[in-house]
Amino acid sequence: MKYPSRARWIAAASALGAVLVAAVFFVLTAARPSGRVLPTNAPDVANGKVLFHVGGCIACHNPPSGTDNSGLPTGGAAFSTPFGTMYPGNLTPDPDTGLGRWTAGEFVDAMTKGVSPEHRHYFPAFPYTSYRNMRIEDLLDLRAYLMSFPPVRSTQRDPDVRMTGLARRAVGLWKRFAFRRRTFEPDPDRDAAWNRGAYLVQGPGHCGECHTPRNAFMILDDTRPLEGGPHPRGEGHVPSLRDLVGRGRYADVADLALALQFGETLGYDKLSSGGMAQVQMNLARLPEDDLRAISEYLLSLR
Amino acid sequence: MCPRLWFLLKYVVIDWSTTRERGTEMKGTKIRMLTALAVVAAVASITLAAATGTKAIKERQQAMEDIGQAMKALGAIAKKQAPFDADVVKTSAETIANRLNTAAYLFPDGSDRGDVETWAKAEIWSDHENFQKDLDTAEAAAVAMQSVTDEAAFGPALGVLGNGCKTCHDTYRRPKQ
Repeated sequence: MKYPSRARWIAAASALGAVLVAAVFFVLTAARPSGRVLPTNAPDVANGKVLFHVGGCIACHNPPSGTDNSGLPTGGAAFSTPFGTMYPGNLTPDPDTGLGRWTAGEFVDAMTKGVSPEHRHYFPAFPYTSYRNMRIEDLLDLRAYLMSFPPVRSTQRDPDVRMTGLARRAVGLWKRFAFRRRTFEPDPDRDAAWNRGAYLVQGPGHCGECHTPRNAFMILDDTRPLEGGPHPRGEGHVPSLRDLVGRGRYADVADLALALQFGETLGYDKLSSGGMAQVQMNLARLPEDDLRAISEYLLSLR
Repeated sequence: MCPRLWFLLKYVVIDWSTTRERGTEMKGTKIRMLTALAVVAAVASITLAAATGTKAIKERQQAMEDIGQAMKALGAIAKKQAPFDADVVKTSAETIANRLNTAAYLFPDGSDRGDVETWAKAEIWSDHENFQKDLDTAEAAAVAMQSVTDEAAFGPALGVLGNGCKTCHDTYRRPKQ
């Protein structure tokens, strides 16, 4: 049987084209370690502890309900997202299921690049898109605090996501756009407290992951920071954090700081729904200066 | 409401009377009447359900508003914006306990939606046993608060009560703008 030569050419060209596209996709979406040089000064565990609570790490990396070790970030509890159910990892220094064998570089890459020690992309349910705003020193302090926990063995599960391998590659492509967002830079025209607050909100606090609306590509929309939007799990509406004074939500910086510290206990409404209860109870553990810094920054948003 | 009334009028009164005037066969009239009745029953039950939902939603939102005001009074004491006053504590705690006590009846089946927006989550009805347990815990904390007469015991009691609010709102309320 003889094919017309033109059809053959087209078939060969499309096959070659498909291979090329696959190769480009493969290269573009690969997860690579950054190989970045880390500072070597001794880490500050106390600072790491503060950052642990700012991030509310325990809120997602908690043990499955009904198991012991409550209070330790052993991971394993289900975390549902629109893309599937995730099972956040074990943050205790267990060598097999936790961070025990991770190098500092691997930890920093996970937090800022979303790349695992096995060179795989993490799904952005792990909010590295915010953590990449963190200072390296802070990341190392946080790691030192995590390493101070007793090692706990826990069950690690892969996420329930369709075609996980391909989906991770798609995350690699997504990151190429999501990482174009500018990282945090202090504003020299503002005072230290404002800058501290801005850093905590945009970096470790990852407030924008819920409070900033996302565009069609699920990338945080920098033109509408902290304006609120649909709840990521479809549970209603995440409130805007802008113009909180003008909208009559809080009187002043001290008022908001108290609200963050005590939540609904002091009669402040709307601080427990949609996951905010966990956030608030972690914020309650912050030094009061940091709560005031966060409040000063938030109330400056018009 | 108006389109529904018109619907009722059209199918039951007008249609019925016109078919009789025209002297259609009895069988046809019967079928028409039965259909009309079924439609009326369906419309009525939907209307009724929506009305029940709306009424319950409004009532529980008012109850929550009352609790919110009482919590603000207690919060003001904790924030030292108001002096400790055992009477204020008692009346505020009574309001909270009463509203929480009746709250159990303000989430009837079918009141997950109505003509006003509700932030109540489906878990209230799918996990009703636990919802009731959380309500009871919060109510017990409010009852305990009623007998607080000294400032030293006030803070911890408020902490327990506040946790009652948080636990329930965490699980059973959607966030709102």
